[in-house]
Amino acid sequence: MKNNKMGNKFAAKERIIAWPRMGRIDIPLKALVLALGAKVVIPPANSNEALEIGVRNSIEGICLPYKLNLANYIMALEKGANTLMMFQAPGSCRLGNYTKMAQKTLNQMGYNFDMVIFDMYKSKMLQTLQAFWHVTHCINPWCYYRGFSLGFNKLFAIDTAEKLLFYTRPRELNKGEAEKCYNKWLEIVDNTNSIRGAKRLKKQIIADFKTIPIDKNKKVPKVYLIGEFFVLLDPYTNQNIEKELGEMGVEVQRQIMFSDWLEHVLKPSLFYHKESHRERSVRYAKEYMKRAIGGECIETIGDTVYAAKHGIDGIIHISPFSCMPEIVAQNILPKVSKNENIPVLSLVLDEQTGKAGYITRIEAFIDLIKRRQMDYLN
Amino acid sequence: MLLMLYTFFENIQIIKEVMKEKFLYKKIGIPKALSYYNNYPFYYGFFNSLGLEVVLSDKTTTKTINDGTKYVVSDTCLPIKVYVGHVINLLDKGCEVIFIPSLQSTDYKINNCSKIRGLPEIIRNVINRPFTMIEPTLDKTEGVGLNDFCIETARLLGVKDRKVIKKAVDKGWEIYNSFMKMTQSGVDYSEALENAIKGKFARKTVDIVKPLSVAIMAHGYNLYDERISLNLIKKLEKMDVKVYASVSKEKSLEALKQLGEVQYWANELELTGTAAYYLLNKKVDGIIALSAFGCGPDSLMVDEISYHCKEHGMPLIHLTIDEHTGEAGFITRIEAFIDMLLRRKRNLIVKKSDSVKSFKANVIDIKKEKVLTGSAK
Ligand code: SF4
Ligand code: SF4
Repeated sequence: MKNNKMGNKFAAKERIIAWPRMGRIDIPLKALVLALGAKVVIPPANSNEALEIGVRNSIEGICLPYKLNLANYIMALEKGANTLMMFQAPGSCRLGNYTKMAQKTLNQMGYNFDMVIFDMYKSKMLQTLQAFWHVTHCINPWCYYRGFSLGFNKLFAIDTAEKLLFYTRPRELNKGEAEKCYNKWLEIVDNTNSIRGAKRLKKQIIADFKTIPIDKNKKVPKVYLIGEFFVLLDPYTNQNIEKELGEMGVEVQRQIMFSDWLEHVLKPSLFYHKESHRERSVRYAKEYMKRAIGGECIETIGDTVYAAKHGIDGIIHISPFSCMPEIVAQNILPKVSKNENIPVLSLVLDEQTGKAGYITRIEAFIDLIKRRQMDYLN
Repeated sequence: MLLMLYTFFENIQIIKEVMKEKFLYKKIGIPKALSYYNNYPFYYGFFNSLGLEVVLSDKTTTKTINDGTKYVVSDTCLPIKVYVGHVINLLDKGCEVIFIPSLQSTDYKINNCSKIRGLPEIIRNVINRPFTMIEPTLDKTEGVGLNDFCIETARLLGVKDRKVIKKAVDKGWEIYNSFMKMTQSGVDYSEALENAIKGKFARKTVDIVKPLSVAIMAHGYNLYDERISLNLIKKLEKMDVKVYASVSKEKSLEALKQLGEVQYWANELELTGTAAYYLLNKKVDGIIALSAFGCGPDSLMVDEISYHCKEHGMPLIHLTIDEHTGEAGFITRIEAFIDMLLRRKRNLIVKKSDSVKSFKANVIDIKKEKVLTGSAK
C-alpha cells in the first residue's frame, strides 16, 4: 500500500494499539482489533488530570477535543502503546490538521510510535480495511468477519442500551436503577466474545430494561441534545449532561449516535438504502442552510427543525469553545428557534466551565420548557 | 377557447415580467471584506463584462464593526463581524443584489474555514431584510471548479449564454493576473488594485533599501483592511521598515514543501506560504503574524510557522486583534518588536566584523610565523 501517511516503525506482531476516547467506541473497537490478533491499550477515561496533560502540551487556541485526544495518546503511550489510531471524521474540520500536530508534539516529547490515520471522508470501506490490515497484518478473512460482526453488534447493543437509558432514567421509580442496569450491560457487552452471544445482546438488553419499574404516565419533557460530535459523546467534557438532565426528569434524545455514523461511513452506499442522519439533516435544514460547511453544523440545524416538527420540547446545543462550525450554527439557531417555535439553549464548553453556573442555566431552561408545556395544555 | 387565449396572454405577460426582472439586475453589490481582498480584480472584470455595475460598500469604520457585531454571536471572529457590517452598509445604500459566495474548497480536500464556507448561511439567517443574495459555490473537493462557479453566478444573474460567460471569465482573469503581477513585484496593494481596474500597469518604484525588513503573515482581509489591521503596513513604513506581504501560489507551495509541510487550509496558504518563503530566502529580519482573536485555523498555522522559525532562528511576533484592540497598545507591541530586531541586527553585524578582524589577525600571525621560520633557515 503506497500510503505514506502510515507509519512503519513497528512490525505487526509488536504493535500495541491505542486510540483516543470517544464515547464508548473503545468497547466495539477493542473487540474488532483483538479479533484481528493485535494487542490494545485503552487510555483511562478523560478527567481533570487528562485535561491538564492536554492543556500543558498544546497551544492555547486549539479546540478542547484536541487537547483531550492528545492527553489520551500520551497516557496510552505511557502505558506501553506504540501504534496510535486517529479518526478523521467526514465533517473534515480542524481534525484533519490535528493528526499532524499531535504527531509532531509527541515526537518532540520523545515518544517512539506509529500513527495510522483512518480517513473517513466519504465512505470508503476498502481504505478502512486496508488501514486495519496495515496495523494488524491479519490476512485471515474469518478474523475480519468475526471482528466486524463482534464490533458492529456490540456497537448496536451499546447504542440500544443508551437509548433505553435515556428513556428509563427520567421515569424510573427507584432512582439510579436504570444507570446501574446500563453499567452492568456495558460490562457484559465488553466481555462477550462469541458472535452468537453478541448477536443476542440487543434483545437481552431490551428485555432487561423492561424489568425496571417506571412511571409510564409521567409527563416527561423531551429534549434533544445536539452539537459538536466529541463533546456530545464525552461525558467528562459535557459534565455528564445526559445524567443531569435525566435526573431532572427530562428525557434526553441524542441524534448523533455512533452506530448511525459508522454505519453510514463504512457501508458502501450500494447497500445503504435507509436515509442517513446526515441526509435527513440536509433535508430538514434546507430552509436555513443550502450546503454543509464542515463539522456537524448542518446536523445541528437539521435536527433542530426535525425536533420542532416531531413534538420535542426543547433543544440543548453544546459545543467546545472556538469551534468554528458550531459558531456558525449558533448564529443560525436564533432564527430557527423563532421560526420553528422551539426553545434553544446554546452552551459553550471550555476548560474553565464551572459546573454550578452550567447546571443553573440548564435548570432555568428546563423550567422554561415546563412552563411552556403548561401554557400549551391550558 | 377564450379561456385558452386568455391564459396564453397571461403567460406571455409573466414571461415578459421574468425577462424584465432578469435585466433588472443592473447593479451588484460586493461587500468590501473577506474574499474581496483577494479576488476583487477578478470579480470586477467578470461582472463588468457581464454588463453589471459593481457597487462596493464603504471603507471599514468602527461603525461597520459595531453594526456587524449586533447581528452575530460574540464568539464570531472579527472579519465575519466586519463582513456583516459591510452587507448592512450595502443594504443601507439601497443595493438589493449582493454577491456572497461560498468558497468551500480550492483544491481537492483543501477546505476553507467553516465560517467562510458558510458565509451565505450566516448572512441569510442573521439579517432579516429583504434582498437578493447571489450565492454561488466553489467546491473543488466535490468537483465544482471555478468555471462552474462562474456559470452558476451568471445563471443566478439571468445570463445563460456560455460565450458571454467565457468572455467574462477571461476578462476577470486578465485583470486579476495583471493585479497579481503588480503586487508581487512590490507595488502597493491599493495602487495595484486601482491600476488593474483601470487596465493600466504600474511598475515598482525604485527599491529603496531600508535598515530593516519584515514579512507579514496575515489574511488579505485582515492586513489590507486599514481599520482591522490598524494600518499596520503604514505604521511599519513610518518606522522605516520594509514590508513584504505577498508571494505567488507556486512559490508558496514550493517553500512549504521545503519546510516539510503540506497545505491543509485553503485560505491559510497566504499566511504559511508567505512566512515559509521569506523564512527560507532570508530576505527579512523578522516575521509579524497578524490574526483575528479566536480564529481557529490561524492559531494552528502560526504555531506551525513559529516552530520552524525557532529552528531557523527567525524572530516572530503574533499579534491578535479584535474589535476592542486599542491603537496605543498595538503600537507599543510593534515598536518593542522592531527595537528588538534592530538590536539583534546590530549585534549580528558587530559580531560579523569582529570575526572578520580576528580572521585578519590570524592571517598576519601566520605570515609572521612564516617570516620567522624563514629567517631561521
Ligand atoms: S468541529 Fe469544532 S471542535 Fe471539532 S475540530 Fe472543528 S473546530 Fe474543533
Ligand atoms: S479563517 Fe479565521 S479569521 Fe478567517 S473567517 Fe475563519 S475564523 Fe475568521
